[in-house]
Amino acid sequence: MRILLDKFSKSFGTTSVIEDMNLEVGSGEMLALLGPSGCGKSTTLFAICGIHRPTAGRILFGDRDVTNLPSQERNVGVVFQSYALYPHMTVEENIGFPLTVRRVAASDIKKQVAGIAALVHIDNLLDRKPSQLSGGQQQRVALARALIRRPDVLLLDEPLANLDAKLRLEMRSEIRRLQKETGITAILVTHDQVEAMSMCDRIAIMKSGEIVQVATPSQMYQDPRTAFVAGFLGNPPISFLKGKAAHGAFVSTDGKLQMTLPALSGIADGTALTLGIRPEHFGTAGNVPVEGKVTFAETQGRENLYDVVLPDGSVIRSIQPVRDDVTLGDQVRWGIDSKSAFVFAEDGTRL
Amino acid sequence: MRTSRTLGMVMIAPAAIMIFLFYLMPVVLTAIFAMTNMSTATGISGGAWQVTASAVNRLKTTLPELANGIAEPRFVIDEDGLKELEALKLKPGFATELRAQHIGGVYPSRREAERDIKALKDRPNTREVKQISDIFNRSVLNTRFESRDALMTSLDKLGFKLTPEQQQIVSDATYTGWVWTSENFSTIANSPDMLQILINTGIYVAVTLTLFNVTYALFLAVTTHYMPSNTASVFRAIWLLPRITPVVIYILLWKWMTWDNGFISLFLAQFGVPPKNYLLDSAYNAWFFVILINGFIGASMGMLVFSSAIKAIPQTQFHASEVDGASRWQQIRYIILPQLRWPILFVTCYQTLSLLASFQEIHLSTRGGPGKSTEVWSLAAFHTALNNYTGNLEYGLGAAMALVLVVVGLVLSLIYLRVFRYDTLISKPLIED
Amino acid sequence: MSEKSKASANFSSIPVIALLGLLSLPLVVMYAYLILDTVTNSEPGSLVPNEFTLEHWKFLWETRSGKSSIWLVTLNTFIFTCCITGVILLVSSMAGYVLSRLNVPARGFFLAGVMVLHAFPSVTLIISIFIVLQYIGLYNSLIGVILVKAAIDMPLGIWLMKGFYDTVPWEIEMAGIVDGASRFTVWRRLVLPQIKPAIMALGLFSFLTGWSEFILPQVLAPGSQVQVLSVYLASLIADDNNFDFATFKAVGVFYVIPVLILYVFFQKHLMNIYGGGTKG
Repeated sequence: MRILLDKFSKSFGTTSVIEDMNLEVGSGEMLALLGPSGCGKSTTLFAICGIHRPTAGRILFGDRDVTNLPSQERNVGVVFQSYALYPHMTVEENIGFPLTVRRVAASDIKKQVAGIAALVHIDNLLDRKPSQLSGGQQQRVALARALIRRPDVLLLDEPLANLDAKLRLEMRSEIRRLQKETGITAILVTHDQVEAMSMCDRIAIMKSGEIVQVATPSQMYQDPRTAFVAGFLGNPPISFLKGKAAHGAFVSTDGKLQMTLPALSGIADGTALTLGIRPEHFGTAGNVPVEGKVTFAETQGRENLYDVVLPDGSVIRSIQPVRDDVTLGDQVRWGIDSKSAFVFAEDGTRL
Repeated sequence: MRTSRTLGMVMIAPAAIMIFLFYLMPVVLTAIFAMTNMSTATGISGGAWQVTASAVNRLKTTLPELANGIAEPRFVIDEDGLKELEALKLKPGFATELRAQHIGGVYPSRREAERDIKALKDRPNTREVKQISDIFNRSVLNTRFESRDALMTSLDKLGFKLTPEQQQIVSDATYTGWVWTSENFSTIANSPDMLQILINTGIYVAVTLTLFNVTYALFLAVTTHYMPSNTASVFRAIWLLPRITPVVIYILLWKWMTWDNGFISLFLAQFGVPPKNYLLDSAYNAWFFVILINGFIGASMGMLVFSSAIKAIPQTQFHASEVDGASRWQQIRYIILPQLRWPILFVTCYQTLSLLASFQEIHLSTRGGPGKSTEVWSLAAFHTALNNYTGNLEYGLGAAMALVLVVVGLVLSLIYLRVFRYDTLISKPLIED
Repeated sequence: MSEKSKASANFSSIPVIALLGLLSLPLVVMYAYLILDTVTNSEPGSLVPNEFTLEHWKFLWETRSGKSSIWLVTLNTFIFTCCITGVILLVSSMAGYVLSRLNVPARGFFLAGVMVLHAFPSVTLIISIFIVLQYIGLYNSLIGVILVKAAIDMPLGIWLMKGFYDTVPWEIEMAGIVDGASRFTVWRRLVLPQIKPAIMALGLFSFLTGWSEFILPQVLAPGSQVQVLSVYLASLIADDNNFDFATFKAVGVFYVIPVLILYVFFQKHLMNIYGGGTKG
């Protein structure tokens, strides 16, 4: 089912959290709401499931306007960060609860619970209490409970935040598998870009109550609209250099680095600029040479990571295949791949 | 918002109704009663007009003539009455003989008047005697009138011509029901008894609070802290007993302890000390035990609050201070006490109110005695309004005293709400449905 | 006790135990003799019992003239206490939830009101309630006293329950409503089960205070048909003709036994309420 937020605004008292937000999630699509904490992504999620009411604007499920419907009538499934399992009920009662409150016949509930439990692989745990389950198992119960009544939309609020690293990896693919198998429209709220990029069809990046960009993960990585987006995606993160425009080229503050970029044609000389270089675009292969001193070197097994300090004090990160000829303190002369460099205006918009 | 609001209203309704019925109404009524002179004598519903001796006394200052008139004895053999008697057409001898023998005769009571009537030669029967004496009833003294008008008519018949103002004075003086008055408050403000009670209350609250509810509670919390936890819980259990035990039994135990056939007397008798009632023999002893009785109950709350506060202090602080060479006293002085500041303030505030309001223990043990030496404010209010030996329960005065307590309690608790940052306790509901 | 905090190894606990033991002696003596005196006799003027007897307990099977049967009084007390407990639990568990979670007008005001009422001098209420009950005809009836007693303990109940509800995670309720349950169902089926220990503790507390209550039944329902144990015992003691500490104590023990049993078994719950529960 398609989800549409139309000029959605939300404020608490006098604090406005979200203003005039528009967002469309296609039917069967999984979308990530990605952003730092406090950017309004959880507020958006709570508004979609009806725990919060929008101050203005509309929320549509398909063609149905649910803006003023209470949660109980919206048919949404939610997996909370803490899972919010009912501690006094068994796994079976937990999963069946959404049906119980709809007064579905007990035998039907049992059948459906068995089915959904098999789907999330917890059919052997039905008699346990939540406190007797591991984090991953609790997560599966929460998923099963959210899915059992075939909701129009599945909302996941930081579902992996409370898991350890290994389980996180496992549940990442598990959630994606379930979403694909059920064909349900899903929205994932997270502050972890890896989660967003690996699990979702599209990502909506949010910053202080606004959606900065909506795109597929690869589009967003390769074509960030703002410096914020470029900085948020990618690990290790992108490096930024300060400079000015001069004759269609980017010139660093000390003037030593000059890079002609097609995006800069028609930009007035002296305009303040920020250059963004991803670590993989700075290394031996780059076309614009830069000299600096290695102040940080770390191997990650397959690749090495370096920080290079330029004469003006700014730092560029580099990631390269493993090599052992460069050590801390070495003077290096590597190149930036100018085709892949991003240049941003002072307000952060990409040029 | 609608559904949860409706549900909320429904769910809070029972509590609201109970608060209305048993807190708001009583407080309002207390305020109303405080403005009246209601007592057992006046009743609580309404009254009548009765020319009692004391009403006459009251009248003597303002209307002495009338007062004397009313106070005149009751039965007078006069011409009016004789005429009336003749009109009744009983035996004519009655009137003739009365006129001849007793004209102008004055009888202070019905009995004496009827003795003379009975002695008439024509021997009136009992019914006639009563009939005749009624005719000569000439006084309103000790007569009860159900309405003001009845009284006035009667006075009028007797020849007392009263101006409306005088009527009002007579009516006020003879009314037996309750009336509006602010006398209660002037009594409270001026009576030396009240001053004594106020001083008693101050001593009682201050001494019990400082010695037991705070100091001894601290002592209990700190000493049990320095014990193995099993021993500590035994002591805490012992010291919680006074609070758990029903008050009637608890006081019974103290009576057994202090009375002349009780433990202290028996124990000291082994050393030749004559037995006596230690609870009531002197004001000093009475105060000693009243404070002990209340203090033993009061210590437990502080003990528990302080104990859990001490438990909340990270163990590492104790370890560190011991490694730093602190003695036990220094540990108490520099680690424990500074971190108990808020709990101590809280207990002090809370227990001040509890002590101000408490009276059951004193009522059951000393009853405020000996004399009135251990009478405290709330007990005095209770005694005045609901429970005293004289039998005249002064609801009005008692209510006024209670009202003083309400005002003090309200002001104190509002201050406490400020001090303890009450506003941080309300959080906004997170579900907007 | 589950969490054992060890006393410091650097300080001996013997002196404090000895000191506190000494100070606790009066209480221990009082309670020891409370039990002892009911089953023994001693020589006049002596504190050491010399014979075992059950004569002080004969009030159980003999009703004194002019007094109600102890069993009727006990039944009264039991009904009285259970009703109080029921009313307090019902009213405070509902009101506490509203104050903790639901959006009602004047919620903050109500909560502040509850806190102020919590410390209300009960003597002020008794005087006018006495008169009110006489007016409405509930004077000398247990129902009247039950309502009044429940009302007086209710602010504490509401306050405690509000505190316990505050500890239930919001997510549980959010999950409940997105699962399609109404707020009432959420309260009944999801939230109430989480605070069972709190309900238990409050119930216990209400039972104990109800069982112990003296002044309210004494003033508001002094009639012999509605007598409760506290009033019965007090009238026994106040009756100068039959002065006998041992019998008083036997009645007292009979009266206090349920309290002591509950106390022994649920000491921890009670400590929470009497100490922590009253925290502002």
